[in-house]
Amino acid sequence: MTDWLAYDFAQRALVAGVLVALMCAVLAFFVVLRRMAFVGAGISHAALGGVALGLITGVSPLVAAMAFSIIVAWAIGWISERGRITEETAVGILFPTTMAFGIAIISLSATYRQDLMAYLFGSMLAVRWTDLWLLFGLAGGTLAVLALFFKELVFVSIDPDAARAAKVPVTALRYLLLTVLAATIVASIKLVGVVLVSALLVIPAATGQVAARSMTGMLVISVISALIAVVVGLWLSWVSNLPSGATIVLLASALFFAAFAATAHSSASR
Amino acid sequence: MNEAAAVAFEDVWFSYDGTNILNGVSFDIRPGRFAAMIGPNGAGKTTVLRLLLGSLRPARGRVRLFGAAPGSQDETIGYIPQRITVPRGFPLTVGEVVVMGRYGRIGLGRRPRQRDHEAARRALERVGLDHLETSPFGALSGGQQQRVLIARALAGEPHLLILDEPTAGLDPAARSDFYNLCCTLQRETPLTLLAASHDIEAVAHHADQVILLNHTVLATGSPHDVLHSPLLQEAYRFPERHHEPHHDGPGAAL
Repeated sequence: MTDWLAYDFAQRALVAGVLVALMCAVLAFFVVLRRMAFVGAGISHAALGGVALGLITGVSPLVAAMAFSIIVAWAIGWISERGRITEETAVGILFPTTMAFGIAIISLSATYRQDLMAYLFGSMLAVRWTDLWLLFGLAGGTLAVLALFFKELVFVSIDPDAARAAKVPVTALRYLLLTVLAATIVASIKLVGVVLVSALLVIPAATGQVAARSMTGMLVISVISALIAVVVGLWLSWVSNLPSGATIVLLASALFFAAFAATAHSSASR
Repeated sequence: MNEAAAVAFEDVWFSYDGTNILNGVSFDIRPGRFAAMIGPNGAGKTTVLRLLLGSLRPARGRVRLFGAAPGSQDETIGYIPQRITVPRGFPLTVGEVVVMGRYGRIGLGRRPRQRDHEAARRALERVGLDHLETSPFGALSGGQQQRVLIARALAGEPHLLILDEPTAGLDPAARSDFYNLCCTLQRETPLTLLAASHDIEAVAHHADQVILLNHTVLATGSPHDVLHSPLLQEAYRFPERHHEPHHDGPGAAL
């Protein structure tokens, strides 16, 4: 079962997978709490526009996707903050627009179509050492921010007015969370792909929510289920020759349904 | 306007999407008073509260909390909303909600200490829910959730408590309990309260000061003076038979 780890690319994929699992699992807690699943899906699809720009201009696609995703995330926050349209509607406008932009740019050049498929669905072959360094930086920054401001982010998520009364910087934290969300999505793209990364931003925390009775428990289960999904998913991807993004998300879903069934059964038998 | 006031609005104007919500609103509340703000739906009550919280900024005029702009005052502010929206099944416990009231005192990026958890526990005891500290917040009744939110505000040891329709959706017994608790707190601590409310009957019995708002302040003064003023009928456009607000229960009609 461990023979696949003899390969250099598989080791890189495993390290990347663990970092992605940690980032997504902790951030998913806030995505579920703030009901931001659609925002996550929107930013991840928008990242494709940044990837396309990077491929065409010769800039690192991940760096370009990072800049592009942060701009889109802030635009979602800024437009919805004006109060004329909801956050959901802002995502509904920016999500297809930026994705269409990415598809249109890449379609102009046949050279990049193969790359596009890897970015859409993820591939364990795609992670390079340079990507890993970027990933270490993003994971360190993201986890540090979420750990440092965890209590404030929870407060702001459930009652922004009361948080403001307590002098918590509500607007700054909102944009910080959107930035961290964009960073996590970009960090996950190579392994999981833009189409499926949004699943990792919801499913592990949903598994934690149905199985845990406290926020700490929910976080722990979210992290463990994401790690299992990513590590076992990568191995399955290797042995079955399937895209890594698909196997990881299918496993994460299987863990959710198992937790859901187990807790539904225990609730019914109480 | 007196700088020593706990709350002061000085000729405040606010509009949203070209519609004037507040037109030259002026009033003040002395420290230690229980003030109630009444007015029909859409009168601008929630806008007044959000201006106080610093969530909105006035187009014109000045809002002051203890003599300072909202957010820069030294005094602690507690806020009790109608309700908070936690996703169904989210494992947030009562204790976790209450300790949030301490976050303003704990400071950004720092963890709650033992004394913060003790303050949260004491606040829960004051509202009689200390036995529910580890229960999921979402599993409580509306009245219990409201008490938890009061405890959260009290845990911060506030100088001013701002309440937005705090008894909406509660049954009459829970409403009465709620206002009795507010009065007890006001007697026991140097606390100023401002409650936006539709519950005119309860306001008449518990508040020291009533502010009648309908885009501007129509009247402010003692509950007796304001609730017997013809301006009340004008604000709500009551039919003739509701001349006596205390006895005929305009609160029930709202």
